[in-house]
Amino acid sequence: MSTLLPETISDALGIGGVTGTFLGGVIGAALVGSFILVNTAVAGPWLKRKIMASFWEKIGPNHIGPFGSLIMVADAVRLISKELVVPEGVDRPAWDLAPMVLASSALLGFAVIPMGSILGINVQLADPEVGLAFVFAVASIASVGLVMAGYASNNKFSFLGGLRAVAQNLAYEIPLILTGISVVIFAGSLQMSEIVAAQSQTLLSVGPVDVPAWFGILNPFALALFLVANLAEVGRNPFDIPEAPTEIVAGYQTEYSSVYFVLLYLGEFIHIFLGGAIVATVFLGGPAGPVLPGIVWFLVKIWAVFLFTQWCRSSLPRIRVDQLIGIGWKGLLLASFANLIVTAAIVGVLAV
Amino acid sequence: MSLEQPRQRDVGVTPDGELDYDELADLLEEYLLDREEHMNAQGFVVRPDEVAAVLETLREEAGFDHLSLVTAQDYQDRYESIYHLKKYSDPTHELSVVVPTTRENPLSQSAAPVFETANWHEREAYDLVGIEYDEHPDLRRILLPETWQGHPLSSDYNQDQPQIVPLREQADPMEHKTQAPDEQDAMFVNIGPHHPATHGVLHLKTVLDGEQVVDVDPDIGYLHRCEEQMCEQSTYRHQIMPYPDRWDYISAGILNEWAYARTAETLADIEVPDYAQVIRTMSAEMCRIAAHLLAVGTFALDIYGDFTAIFMYAITDREKVQHLLEDLTGQRLMFNYLRLGGLAWDLPEPREEYFENVRNFCEYIPERLEEYHNLLTGNELFQMRVLDTGVLPPEKAKDYGCTGPVARASGIDYDLRRDDPYGYYDELEFDVVTRDGCDNFARASVRLEEIRQSARIIEQCVDLLEDWPEDEREIQSNVPRTLKPDPDTEVYKAVEGAKGELGIYIRSDGSDKPGRFKIRSPAFCNLQSMEVLAEGEYIPDMVAALGSLDIVLGEVDR
Repeated sequence: MSTLLPETISDALGIGGVTGTFLGGVIGAALVGSFILVNTAVAGPWLKRKIMASFWEKIGPNHIGPFGSLIMVADAVRLISKELVVPEGVDRPAWDLAPMVLASSALLGFAVIPMGSILGINVQLADPEVGLAFVFAVASIASVGLVMAGYASNNKFSFLGGLRAVAQNLAYEIPLILTGISVVIFAGSLQMSEIVAAQSQTLLSVGPVDVPAWFGILNPFALALFLVANLAEVGRNPFDIPEAPTEIVAGYQTEYSSVYFVLLYLGEFIHIFLGGAIVATVFLGGPAGPVLPGIVWFLVKIWAVFLFTQWCRSSLPRIRVDQLIGIGWKGLLLASFANLIVTAAIVGVLAV
Repeated sequence: MSLEQPRQRDVGVTPDGELDYDELADLLEEYLLDREEHMNAQGFVVRPDEVAAVLETLREEAGFDHLSLVTAQDYQDRYESIYHLKKYSDPTHELSVVVPTTRENPLSQSAAPVFETANWHEREAYDLVGIEYDEHPDLRRILLPETWQGHPLSSDYNQDQPQIVPLREQADPMEHKTQAPDEQDAMFVNIGPHHPATHGVLHLKTVLDGEQVVDVDPDIGYLHRCEEQMCEQSTYRHQIMPYPDRWDYISAGILNEWAYARTAETLADIEVPDYAQVIRTMSAEMCRIAAHLLAVGTFALDIYGDFTAIFMYAITDREKVQHLLEDLTGQRLMFNYLRLGGLAWDLPEPREEYFENVRNFCEYIPERLEEYHNLLTGNELFQMRVLDTGVLPPEKAKDYGCTGPVARASGIDYDLRRDDPYGYYDELEFDVVTRDGCDNFARASVRLEEIRQSARIIEQCVDLLEDWPEDEREIQSNVPRTLKPDPDTEVYKAVEGAKGELGIYIRSDGSDKPGRFKIRSPAFCNLQSMEVLAEGEYIPDMVAALGSLDIVLGEVDR
């Protein structure tokens, strides 16, 4: 097993002991966090608009900077310099905490994601034995944030949005995790590095091309299930029901402005990337790929998932809240149980 | 022309399908006070306390199932409500029921128990003119704020009276839950006037039980601009024509202008040259395409969430037809292209190039419709959302006076272009699109198919215009500079607007300006059916139903 990022840093600094571990951890976390935030900055104000524009046959941002990319700076300045409007009657600590909970819970998930290596440095902050469970656990904290935002805002639309968010997350997290468990059965471990390692074998060779044993290739059904459940988890069309701009204005984020709005939005984008990272790690072989460094492949994979969410967003209708719950409990839950049982049976038979 | 033929001949119809007013008068003998001659129909004068009985008899016995409009007006010695009746099976069969009341006691029986659509019409009459309707279920102001003092279209209205009322005297929105639910967990939500789903300044007072709509009460009037009164202060010949563009301002301008042109041309007995009629027909259908594209696009917006591919595609295509309209009229929205007796000017030069552009567009649109069908009507998620939601049964649609795509999606085969032809429509071939679904899906699909039919009409118009002999290209007939129709001439005429039957009632007072100018807004009548569409549905379906009604607040509020 290769050295983790905090260890590499503390070795490079030459500080041992508790101080070294602490410093390495903080610096490593700062690096990984910044890396993810840069990704969301590129995605949110700029690339998302470019992607949508090409779906819509229009141009998108093109005035500031090359290909309009400096819109990121303009948007950041615009959003942060806006007035933070605090509506009357909001439940203060909860209302203030919600955006932070949302953004940080998603960011926390990246602590255990193996992002591959660059220049011989393995970019992974921690590799606990319960890695996958940890990711799902911290990603679910977002639901608490959503309820806080919806309930504390003292606004009926926010309230409806908060309720919808909880109902939706309940209906989709169980299928999401059950599908994840089917992979754990394959890999025989919850540890992220083990899951990636289990996928590095060659499934079969077609001429000079080796097809890797990625779980997405072994069990495409589980991948499809996971992608659908993940769309609901991150609240993108056809499951953008907690926000549903044309129905409940903006759902739980109706009353947020300025920096809090940025945090909520940021939280959503980090969540999409975290979903992408889980898909990449669990189903697409993590950072594995030919020629290019692992981290590049990792980026390609999470951006592919991001592109998928944007594609759905621009072309699929939003389904109704009762239909969503129906699909979650009656459809996806059954399918994910079936998938789990079949996977367990196959793995059991193969083990014998 | 309805699908179901009546079992027997309605009273008052001769065997060759003409209307026999004498027989109708016999039918109503016990109620009839007097008979008036209006230009479009006869007016039967009845007592103000027998309105419901008269309308009931006319609907049940004589088949007048369409209360097109209620006009209220103020004379020196009396108030008057006119109920303009038509038949969905044949809108050329018209009858006006005239109900005079004294100035001292302007109390008239309500028609709302007979025709639901009278509910809002009478509220408007009460609001603006001041006639009170007995037995009306809900006689509140509709366009003006609840605290408004006086009735602005009444001659004893004091314009100088201050109207500023402090907020604390405004009604408490919670008071007006018309059907207050008993359950404790019901929640009152103001959807609008500023809400992404309302397509303008519409305010839906909604009572929710969880996510389900228990009661919805549309509150309109935020965009009331006194259009009727402005038209009453303008001359027939030139000053009124720009106003219709501002009613349904979603690119339906020429359709609206035509409503005024048709009414005023009937009133002043003006002939319109055929050449001008063909160009009118062509440009009006272009407006219909533009309006329907926007309707479909914004409907998709309501179903899909944020701005999505379909909305953008619809706007892109609408832009193409806007270019054609801009080439023709010089304007993109407020066309002001029609004139009484003709048009402002001829087709743009070089004509061949313009014809080619129009033809290209007409060939392009059917291909494009396939794309819309793939993205919308063929999409299973979309079907899941809109099938069997927002159901408007045909009987209800008639009761609420729904017209246009909303009525046709409820299986009512009613289109004034065919049933009460004007312009050049009776020489052209097109199908009236109807659907029996009665739901949100049917309404979207009717609009999509109507775009195809409009393109067909435009192509035929281009064929005609290309072959038109050069020396017969007459765009304007001879119309006097000042029009002064005889005093007390009354006329009500309607055209098929983008949203439905757009009618105008004019009474002349002998001057060069109308004595009363009343607009029958199709969106106003269609919006009233919202309570049928929405109640018991989920919020998302209510939003979809609102989108499928395709209202334009400029036309609702006037």
